[in-house]
Formats: sequence, structure tokens, C-alpha cells
Amino acid sequence: MSTLNTDWRAAWEPLRARVGELVDPPEPRFGPDAVELGAVRRWLEPLEFDCALHRDADVARAHGWPDVIAPYTAVWTFVLPAMWEPGDDRPTYADAEPDTQPWRSGIGDDIFPDAPPTTGMFGTGVSMEFARPLHLGERVGAGPRRLVRCEPKETRVGRGAFITFDRHLVTGEGEEICRVEAQIYLYNPHGSGHG
Amino acid sequence: MGEQRRWADVAIGDRLAGASFPLTVHRLVMAAGATRDFSAIHHNDRYARASGAPGMYANTGLLMGMWERVLREYVGLDGTIRAIRGFRLARFTVVGSLARVEGEVVGKEIRDGVPLVEIELRTVVDGTVTVGPGRAEVTLP
Repeated sequence: MSTLNTDWRAAWEPLRARVGELVDPPEPRFGPDAVELGAVRRWLEPLEFDCALHRDADVARAHGWPDVIAPYTAVWTFVLPAMWEPGDDRPTYADAEPDTQPWRSGIGDDIFPDAPPTTGMFGTGVSMEFARPLHLGERVGAGPRRLVRCEPKETRVGRGAFITFDRHLVTGEGEEICRVEAQIYLYNPHGSGHG
Repeated sequence: MGEQRRWADVAIGDRLAGASFPLTVHRLVMAAGATRDFSAIHHNDRYARASGAPGMYANTGLLMGMWERVLREYVGLDGTIRAIRGFRLARFTVVGSLARVEGEVVGKEIRDGVPLVEIELRTVVDGTVTVGPGRAEVTLP
């Protein structure tokens, strides 16, 4: 294996050394908004998902819920951070190029302390254990990520690492409603000039 | 949503009705806004191609939502979803494709007094699995 080939793998060693550790501060990171009827309606729209539990409080209560419930898998939407917040002293976009991205990550989970710089990311797998769905008015936060695996690998799209982590999602009252294990691939696309 | 399905009426091998989703640019853009996953790979074709993908592709929230819709239509208003496991994004589910979610009952049991059904799910495009196969654990009355 050439030096170049080993260098990009070696760059992942500091993160690999943290397998088993929590890589975020211990406090949950809450999404910016409580679960709202309009947000649930918009979530259902591209799915053409017709279920009265997600729009009609009387139906939801008749089936044992305290109010309209969000779809179980919508929980992640209500954790994602805002793209802009009052008080930001930095413009969201640095210039007017069509593909310029906001400085703030819209996902948050694509940033790992001690990982080498990468420009590409996609999810490769998820497992979710649900205690219950969210209902209107609740906020949800993501607890710290525990690093489960970090596996450097060159793929068809680039060089990077498959990273597996797990975390708990909690309501504003601290009730655990979901446990997530997710795997993402962080990479630099072939031809990008990076690792 | 039709008549409530009951655990006693479920048999291993039963197939779910499933659902098909034409993945237009419009749907993917709606999904980006709805799920708040604004990663450019899911709404910007040029950006997605530069990242090594064949084109912009459906985000995880949209793809999981497709599974949940199919599950909800099966379990009805009285059913609940306890888990979705092995939701493996095996291939990019790209714009311009017709994605179909299929499911089949692969197990049923009473555990701690709770009637459970295990369902295997997959997302298929042109006969190729792009997501899954994974398994959902649901309850039925």
C-alpha cells in the first residue's frame, strides 16, 4: 500500500481511538420548535400519508393518545437544528454562488470531533426503538452520541469512514422516547483533491 | 383507513398492500422542507452528482416515512410501531425513479402480554432493493 493510501486511513485514527466514548456534551440538544400541527401536516404531505391520528385530536384521544401524535419516524425532524437564529452575527451564505452551502450544518451529526475534514456525507443505515410517538406541544432533544464503530473505507464515491453511533432522544421533561443507532459515511469524493 | 386489523387474523406470509412513490424533483423538494433535511444531495442534482451519486436522491426521513405510511395502513389506528430495525440504505433512491415499498409478515408472538407482529420491509426500484430489507415490530389489538 502506498504512503498516500495509508495517510488517509491514518487520519481517522484519532476518531477510532474514541470508539466506546460519548463524543458530545452530556446535555441533550433540543430542536428549535415544539411539535406543531402545521409541521406535522407538512411532514405528511410529500408522503400522501392519510392518518387521522396525525391531524384530529378527537380521533387521537379516542385511541389513547393525549393529543394529535406525530408519525414515529418524524421525531428526527423535530431535533434538527435551525439554519439561522436571531443574533447570528455571520451571514448564512458566504456568497451568491448557486451551490454555496450554509455555514451551519443542517444535520449536526455530520460533525465529529477528531475526524479529518470531509465534504461528503450520507446515511447508510438506521435502527430505531420507539417508546412512543411525540404529540403536539412536546419538544425533543438528542442526547450525546456514543461512538460505536469507525471503519475507514474507500468506496465507489470516495475515501472516508463508515461511522456508527447510538443515542437517546428525550422530551423536554426528560422522558426517553426513542433510541437510535445510525451509520453514516463521511468522505471526500473522488477527484475532490481531498484525502 | 379501513377496518381495524386484529392480531388473531394475521398470518406469517401475509403481504402488506405497500405503496408506490414517483420520486419527482417536486416531491424531493417538498420532503426537504417537510423533514428539514436540507442537505444539498437531496434537492440539488448537480451537487449530488459532484458528491459521487447518480443524481439527487431521497433523504432518510422521506424513505423512513414511506415505510411508516405502509406500516400505519397495515396496523390501523389501534396499532403501534415499536421498532424499525435494519433500515439499510443500500443504494441511492434517486430522482426520476418509481420507488415501491413492499412488506410481508415474518413473525407473530405474544410477548409479556403484548400481541406483536414482525414485518419485513424493503424499498424497490426497478426490481432492485434500494432500502432494506429491514424489520419492523408492531402491535395490533
